[in-house]
Amino acid sequence: MNVREKISDRLIEVTNPERYIGNEYNIIKKEWQEDSIKVLTAFPDTYEIGMSHLGLKIIYHLLNKEDNIICERTFSPWPDFENLLREENLPIFSLESGRSVDEFDILAFTLQYEMSYTNILTILDLAGLEFYSSNRKESDPLVIGGGSIVSNVEPVAKFFDLIFIGEAENYIVDIINKHHELDNKGLEKREILKKLSRIPGVYVPSLYNVEYHESGHIKNIEPVNDEVKANVTRQLVTDLDKAFYPEKFLVPYMEIIHDRATVEVSRGCTKGCRFCSAGITYRPVRERSKETLLKQIDNILKNTGYEEISLTSLSTIDHTEVKELVEELTEKYEDDKISVSLSSLRVDKFSVELAKEVQKVRKTGLTFAPEAGTARLRNVINKGVSEENLYEAVEAAFNEGWSTVKLYFMIGLPTEEQADLKGIVDLVNNVLNKGKEIRKNTNKRMKPIRINVSISTFIPKASTPFQWEPMVNKDKLQEKIRFLRSNLNKKGINLSWNEEDLSLLESIFSRGDRRLADVLISAWKKGSRFDGWGDFLDFERWLEAFRENNIDPDFYLRRRDLDETLPWDHINMGLNPKFLEKEYKKALNDSPTSDCRFSDCKGCNICFNLDVDLDIIGDDYNVNKS
Amino acid sequence: MLIRAEYEKRDELKYISHLELMNTFRRTFRRAKLPVKYSQGYNPHIIFSMSQPLPVGMVGYSEYFDLELKEKLSFNLMKNEINKFLPEGLNVFEIVEISDKDKSLQAIANTARYEYEMSFKNDKSNSAKMISDFLNEDEIEITRYRRKKDDRMIDLAPMIYDGQVVEDNIWEFTISTGSSGNVRPQEVIRALKLKTDGEVKEIPLVNIKRIGLYVRRDGKLFKPIHREVLKKEVSED
Ligand code: SF4
Repeated sequence: MNVREKISDRLIEVTNPERYIGNEYNIIKKEWQEDSIKVLTAFPDTYEIGMSHLGLKIIYHLLNKEDNIICERTFSPWPDFENLLREENLPIFSLESGRSVDEFDILAFTLQYEMSYTNILTILDLAGLEFYSSNRKESDPLVIGGGSIVSNVEPVAKFFDLIFIGEAENYIVDIINKHHELDNKGLEKREILKKLSRIPGVYVPSLYNVEYHESGHIKNIEPVNDEVKANVTRQLVTDLDKAFYPEKFLVPYMEIIHDRATVEVSRGCTKGCRFCSAGITYRPVRERSKETLLKQIDNILKNTGYEEISLTSLSTIDHTEVKELVEELTEKYEDDKISVSLSSLRVDKFSVELAKEVQKVRKTGLTFAPEAGTARLRNVINKGVSEENLYEAVEAAFNEGWSTVKLYFMIGLPTEEQADLKGIVDLVNNVLNKGKEIRKNTNKRMKPIRINVSISTFIPKASTPFQWEPMVNKDKLQEKIRFLRSNLNKKGINLSWNEEDLSLLESIFSRGDRRLADVLISAWKKGSRFDGWGDFLDFERWLEAFRENNIDPDFYLRRRDLDETLPWDHINMGLNPKFLEKEYKKALNDSPTSDCRFSDCKGCNICFNLDVDLDIIGDDYNVNKS
Repeated sequence: MLIRAEYEKRDELKYISHLELMNTFRRTFRRAKLPVKYSQGYNPHIIFSMSQPLPVGMVGYSEYFDLELKEKLSFNLMKNEINKFLPEGLNVFEIVEISDKDKSLQAIANTARYEYEMSFKNDKSNSAKMISDFLNEDEIEITRYRRKKDDRMIDLAPMIYDGQVVEDNIWEFTISTGSSGNVRPQEVIRALKLKTDGEVKEIPLVNIKRIGLYVRRDGKLFKPIHREVLKKEVSED
């Protein structure tokens, strides 16, 4: 049944109705055959965010490549559209065929950001499904999840039948086929899940029991019986160059966040920033070759008509062939006025030179992320950037005619002192002064210098060396922000920072456990939606939700003991069990760890445990160069 | 070479905005590998312009765009290529060549025809009388609501050129559009409501379709691709 047809005429009443019409160029509408397996991907955020998500793109095209699988999409409805659906008593539907969730075999969520957890509940509810997997019926679709925050999914674990840990490309089709096969045999869901849990990377939360001490601390997390694996090991793609990559991108009407021909130049990052969760969950670095990338880009451009290429990864500038790639691209597509953008810059001159290459076609701002204000604190967080690097980079940028640069810093980092905040102020002032100086002495026309300073709050994340650290409290956080505001309050500097409540909430859930599921449901029932969108966050409502469930939010913000059982201890990132602790201790001694791709192996053991190589395409070339 | 194309925007694509529609066409031209021309400057874009924007929620069955190309192409080939790469819901019907002396679409298309799916308070039996009474009014005053400005009174009578009942509840009106006098399609309904003492009810935008855009000359209507309204001489190189 096509649900959308019933509501089509009323879409005029909601904001951005084009979010719900589908029909994009390259949309895949397969014939609804009885024996096909029907998968509905659900992205718990808006259309424009979901459509920019690389993982969703990959899964959609990967599954639809299979003749026996139909994969369609749905996204979180904006509150006005949610209300409309409720008013009309209609369920959420897929963009492709307009069908409701009960017509699908599998509902597959992208887990990408803690603050979209309540949106998962909206989709489940509008699908007519119970929140807890244990309450759902045998005939309900299987609810699965996967994505970038799987290092700790415990707060939402009870909502899912199955969660895939790691990069799913090599396993997802098998899981879906196997499920279908077992389902056709008439097995009960619990039996099916038990069998599926034998597939590497498959985490079935209901097969693990969590016991708590009276103090609230976790006593142990154990599989329900010894047939179930003791822990779930992250899976990954070993040969990225040969891995599937979609080339027939859907071309949305609505301007999405990344509305361009995006290629993933590499996956993983071994720079080892100690606050970064992606640095662990996507380890090690695997690159795609220039040849593969050029081919992919060409096909995507042909298939979409996009006017911009984006080279994306956790650290694009570190790709061994990035310079050659950028040069070839700018030359090849100059006549077609196709521009190139780099998703992230390194803080150095090389980055600026590369950015300049890219700017031949179009002009955008430059962003650098020193992250901390002093060399000491940068050693603690292992951000290998020196003051000289930064000045060189910004000077190069100003000399090339950029008048605006954006600087990223974090506050509330472990061991942070007043001197470190002062360090941020000094760095920003020095950058501003260098810009002014260059502007004064140049004969080129240059707009007044602007430094956009973006301050984010450090949040201790699961499976990082800082997973034991406490979250900075609200008063201190406000004090720090006040200091920066009053000291960076001058012409040419534009300061922005995170909403404190939002950071606290994210922090609670990023190291949360299964007990938080009830809190999520309470907050959702009170109306929490799109909490990450600032304007919707109502912290009071959340505090009430905690109180209702007798849960103290501070319990989740506190420092963890090194020998404490952590909620995600049964999820194995492939790390040497002592690696994070070693890194943590080094951090407290202000001692850095260099990038293993340019130096020795640092013993995280991921390459051995997950049987993967640090796959650097232009390795020899790189060694010669340095 | 300058071309002018007539196309339709239908079904759910009524929900995409004018800006989104422009981007959709630009990307379609690129996919179709048309030899488009770009503007100068840091932000080059395809030289291309469109007829009066449709409001979000309204389909258009006879809309137009102008496009500049670096070389001559056969109209048929061009039409086929564009249609091959357009998403479902957009479709080009006809392409003609125009000269650089021709005025832009928004400057010459001064009349639009709309089809309304009407809604009445009572029975719809006297449609014909309602519409003829309405068209015979000497003055049709309504309040125009203006964004960020004060409301003001306007007289629609001289700007409503024609109207007819197609079926009992399907009416058509031909009204002035563009800079030399613009009637918003829903204003006609509001005026009707006033004049019929509420017999005609207001309707949502999705119940109105733009079915034609014209150049009105001496009381006659021409499509903007009609030879009569285009400069005769089209350069041959
Ligand atoms: S095992 Fe060694 S080389 Fe591989 S990612 Fe870890 S530290 Fe780097």
